[in-house]
Amino acid sequence: MAKQHVVVVGGGLAGLAATMRLAEAGVHVYLISMVPVKRSHSVCAQGGINSVNNYTRQQGDSEWLHFDDTVYGGDFLQHQPLVKEMCDWAPRVIDLLDRLGVTFNRTPEGLRDQRRFGGTMYKRTAFAGATTGQQLIYALDEQVRRWEADGLVEKFEYWDFLGPILDDSGRCRGVVAQDMFSMETRSFAADAVVLATGGCGLVFGRSTMSMICTGGAAGRAYKAGVKYGNGEFVQVHPTAIPGTDKLRLMSESARGEGGRVWVPKKPQDDRDPRSIPANERYYFLEERYPKYGNLVPRDIATREIFDVCVNMGLSVEQDQLCAYLDVTELSPETQKKLDGILEIYEKFQGADPRQVPMKIFPAVHYSMGGLWVDYEKNTTTGGLVLGSQRNQQSNIPGIFVIGEADYQYHGGNRLGANSLLSCIFSGLIVAPSIENMLHSFSAGNAEDQPISLFDGAVKEHEAHADRLIKNQGSENPYQIHKELGDSMTRNVTVVRNNDDIKSTLAKIEELKDRYQNVALSDTGDWTNQNLSFTRALGDMIMMARVIAQGALQRDECRGAHFKPNFLTPPMDADDPAELHKQAQRWCKAFKEKNDRWLKSTIAEFTPDGPKMSYESVDTSLIPPRPRTYGLKGAEIIDEVWREMGAQAKTEQQAGAGTAN
Amino acid sequence: MQQVGSPASGEKYHFLIRRLHSATGLVPVGIFLCIHLVTNATVLLPGDPGYEFQKSVERIHALGPLLVPVEIIGIFVPLLFHSLLGVQIILTGKSNAQQYRYGSNIRYTLQRTTGFIAFAFILYHVWQVHWFGKPVGGGQFSLHDEAGNPAGAATTAAAIQAAWWIAPIYAIGVVSTVYHLANGIWTSLITWGITIRPKSQKTAGYICAAFGVVLTLIGLGALSGFRTLSIDSEDVHTKNTTHTVSRHVP
Amino acid sequence: MAKTIPVKIKRQDTPHDGSRWETFDVPYESGMNVTTVLQRIAANPMTAEQQSSTPVAYDACCLEEICGACTMVINGRVRQACSALVDDLLQEQADSIELQPMTKFPVVRDLVVNRQPMFNSLSKVKAWVRVDGYHDMGSGPRVSEATQEEAYPLSRCMTCGCCVEACPQFNDHSPFIGPAAISQAILFNSHPTGAVDREDRLAVLSDAGGIADCGNSQNCVKVCPKEIPLTDSIAKAGRDTTLYKIRQWFGR
Repeated sequence: MAKQHVVVVGGGLAGLAATMRLAEAGVHVYLISMVPVKRSHSVCAQGGINSVNNYTRQQGDSEWLHFDDTVYGGDFLQHQPLVKEMCDWAPRVIDLLDRLGVTFNRTPEGLRDQRRFGGTMYKRTAFAGATTGQQLIYALDEQVRRWEADGLVEKFEYWDFLGPILDDSGRCRGVVAQDMFSMETRSFAADAVVLATGGCGLVFGRSTMSMICTGGAAGRAYKAGVKYGNGEFVQVHPTAIPGTDKLRLMSESARGEGGRVWVPKKPQDDRDPRSIPANERYYFLEERYPKYGNLVPRDIATREIFDVCVNMGLSVEQDQLCAYLDVTELSPETQKKLDGILEIYEKFQGADPRQVPMKIFPAVHYSMGGLWVDYEKNTTTGGLVLGSQRNQQSNIPGIFVIGEADYQYHGGNRLGANSLLSCIFSGLIVAPSIENMLHSFSAGNAEDQPISLFDGAVKEHEAHADRLIKNQGSENPYQIHKELGDSMTRNVTVVRNNDDIKSTLAKIEELKDRYQNVALSDTGDWTNQNLSFTRALGDMIMMARVIAQGALQRDECRGAHFKPNFLTPPMDADDPAELHKQAQRWCKAFKEKNDRWLKSTIAEFTPDGPKMSYESVDTSLIPPRPRTYGLKGAEIIDEVWREMGAQAKTEQQAGAGTAN
Repeated sequence: MQQVGSPASGEKYHFLIRRLHSATGLVPVGIFLCIHLVTNATVLLPGDPGYEFQKSVERIHALGPLLVPVEIIGIFVPLLFHSLLGVQIILTGKSNAQQYRYGSNIRYTLQRTTGFIAFAFILYHVWQVHWFGKPVGGGQFSLHDEAGNPAGAATTAAAIQAAWWIAPIYAIGVVSTVYHLANGIWTSLITWGITIRPKSQKTAGYICAAFGVVLTLIGLGALSGFRTLSIDSEDVHTKNTTHTVSRHVP
Repeated sequence: MAKTIPVKIKRQDTPHDGSRWETFDVPYESGMNVTTVLQRIAANPMTAEQQSSTPVAYDACCLEEICGACTMVINGRVRQACSALVDDLLQEQADSIELQPMTKFPVVRDLVVNRQPMFNSLSKVKAWVRVDGYHDMGSGPRVSEATQEEAYPLSRCMTCGCCVEACPQFNDHSPFIGPAAISQAILFNSHPTGAVDREDRLAVLSDAGGIADCGNSQNCVKVCPKEIPLTDSIAKAGRDTTLYKIRQWFGR
């Protein structure tokens, strides 16, 4: 019998976690990555990683509350068993990272320090300065290097994943990838393929994501038949700094450590911000959300900043939309914990944020949506059946998806410091699932498959590259990318209107046609980055369509997806009785909205564009509720919702009583 | 592709050899240099010109027949080891002080340059004073000149430096050697892990610099001391001439 | 007419070809950095002499100086292209920008070099904590604030290669392992669990190419973009290897 192999595509936190866990089980792994894995996009994560901990427990926190915060933050659009399992595991995930030598910040007693993050009232976030993602990925990179030295892991860095290889029965038997130096294309026979290929921020042109986050790999899997879920849910981070090449993240930890967001009350006040007295500053998040203050979830903070800068005209600058993120009042010790990000601001903006408030504006940051994956629910615990082959497996047998590339865990909006957790968690749990699959193989191993299967796939991809290289067109791929990004950013980010989205869809169609006419300025066969980019551009156009189409069809507001035309009208009555009535109407509308829209968007590839369907969401553990985050003036909604819930319960019990 | 950190076979004693290189530079060679220059500087002491120097030299020569083996084992062998290995070490580096003009990088480059100069100078110096000096630019150093002068050592030393072009060579040689030692002490404190933090390295830097300046003054002082010894005979090469020593005022 | 900046780039088609210089006039944008410059050239690869060329190959990933990918020699000094702002560069050296690949690694193409030797060095010094396994075995060892504050700066090393590029002792006729790997060895030796491999790391550091090949030029610490106290690590390595060797010579 031939040896069994697993291909892991992507060497970020998720891919590395899966790789080390598989190697520990004695499974041979080919780790394929476009960049040396140590340089993966996970290094950009700054603030920290969430879990309930001994400190928060004393304040009444629990795994369940972490779970509750996560689904509430995600507007209930995630399958709850996965989230519950993740939050239950979170303390153990952090313990493991601690054992691996992650330099978590410490308390004077030598315990892990924690900070507070958005969307929670608890200090759940363990952190290593303001470069937690970097510290975590280094720990995992080191472990994988250890397995590499032992011969269980073979790395293929600077290799571009071109697509999965499916046999006649539709099972995945390996992948085709291309060496980005020599441009050699080859196949890797594998009994399981794990895609840990991250998000697709480059579809929006400039974002906080790295240059490799094109979504190309996910697009290639989607094209091969893997379903894509919730594409329209894209997180726009409230605080980023603008740049000509990318938008750089200013971590939520700045607010977690006490940083405040404000604008001068006088539009474009040209005074030195430090000289503006407190009563002339508008701390809009604190005023609008007294309970959570600056630490409301990201979708809300983003919309409020957008509202204040765009709708109210209170942007700090006239020609550039921005608000202040102010950490100048923090103590030097606290500022020190933020050094990693403050240095970034200083280096790129040339001003010292310890002295002067930072100028920030929202930027595309994270793909909540992604490739569809399955799970098996544990009916006793409400969590997962660990080791089930269904966990993290896509609709194509043999393809597993983990990390940001999958569509799970975060629903309509991800909470800060939950992504590092979901990436590592999904990477850790996918390994036993794959192990079990490898043991139970009856269909013969990948290496036993006919050589023609692999050669055919390689030839197909070589032909595709050849077509691109030989294309005699007039279109510049970088220009097409710029236009795509501009249109997507303008119409499919913070505020979405159907007419705008339609115009973007038309633009995507236009770009798709122009792409057929694209010409490479480099037609060589050695380290041709022009080819790699142009190939990914084709995938970006395809994924843009999935995102925009999903956004167009979803006529509601949920999490990061905000359509003002489908907003349940806010209440405005002064009379308490009337207000109560309005709230009842509001809650009824909310319930109807959930009945209609509390579903995952599922896109399937067809040559004519995505075929959309909707999948119901498992909300069996925590029933959906209005997501007000203590908004001033919305207290009545929570109250009425509770009344209605109690009433429904009584009716149910009464109904059950009569039935007996 | 470059083989980073792959030990070549037969380099088993690499670490030991490098540490010995550092140690030999400090202990026999460095200390010898200090003694040598201080002894030379005694020529400046008041009293009969050259008398104190003569006494110092005589103390050294009191070793009698042991002198030569002590010189060979205690000075020449370590010095040669330090120098030859030093040349080999210099050849493994690629100086880039033009490109990265940091103080420490300039000192790194100077350490290598002065090492070369010192090596060349010492070879010349030893050759000149010990065996072959007579035909070229000076005389042969000895404890007593044949005329039995009370300060024969000083007169022979002065005679060695009599030619006008010897002075700059000796000045450059002495300054280079002293720099090499002073900076070598500073780097060896790092090499042996005694100064670790930038702050302690900075303090050590000041101390080494002060040491270097003092030793340079001593060395150059000795040189000028010998230069200003006036020897009444023109022909110091022929050892049968009688001459007396006096100090002339420059 | 908008201002343009002449950007002189050392180009090389393959590892086996010779190199040549090409100049591109890139339209100035306020706040632009070198990666933006390279993006603009990729979009319009036309030289200053109006000859059509190919996009310049370069490594880039995070663009916020935390991944280490875009390291190159800019105006004679090694650094990351993303954090090299054009305004600053023009102040350093008026009128033009000069880009070349790092010189201590084999060139793959243009500004792309192969830094695999650095990763190999990390394997060599066992830059990892050898845990028993990845199952739940409770939390890690307690670490004092002071220890964390020592370790964290070292663990920010992104293997970018600036230190070895500027190191006169790291070159093709010296086996020197370089400051980055030495510092990682010290980092893992200082970790309570990582210390189980301490002797193995010291054995590597006291071998040929190890700490004894450092020439104390201290360029590493000056060019390190993360301001890692590399010379502290080097001095510690000097001390630890000495003691290690003495123990070894005395039979323990």
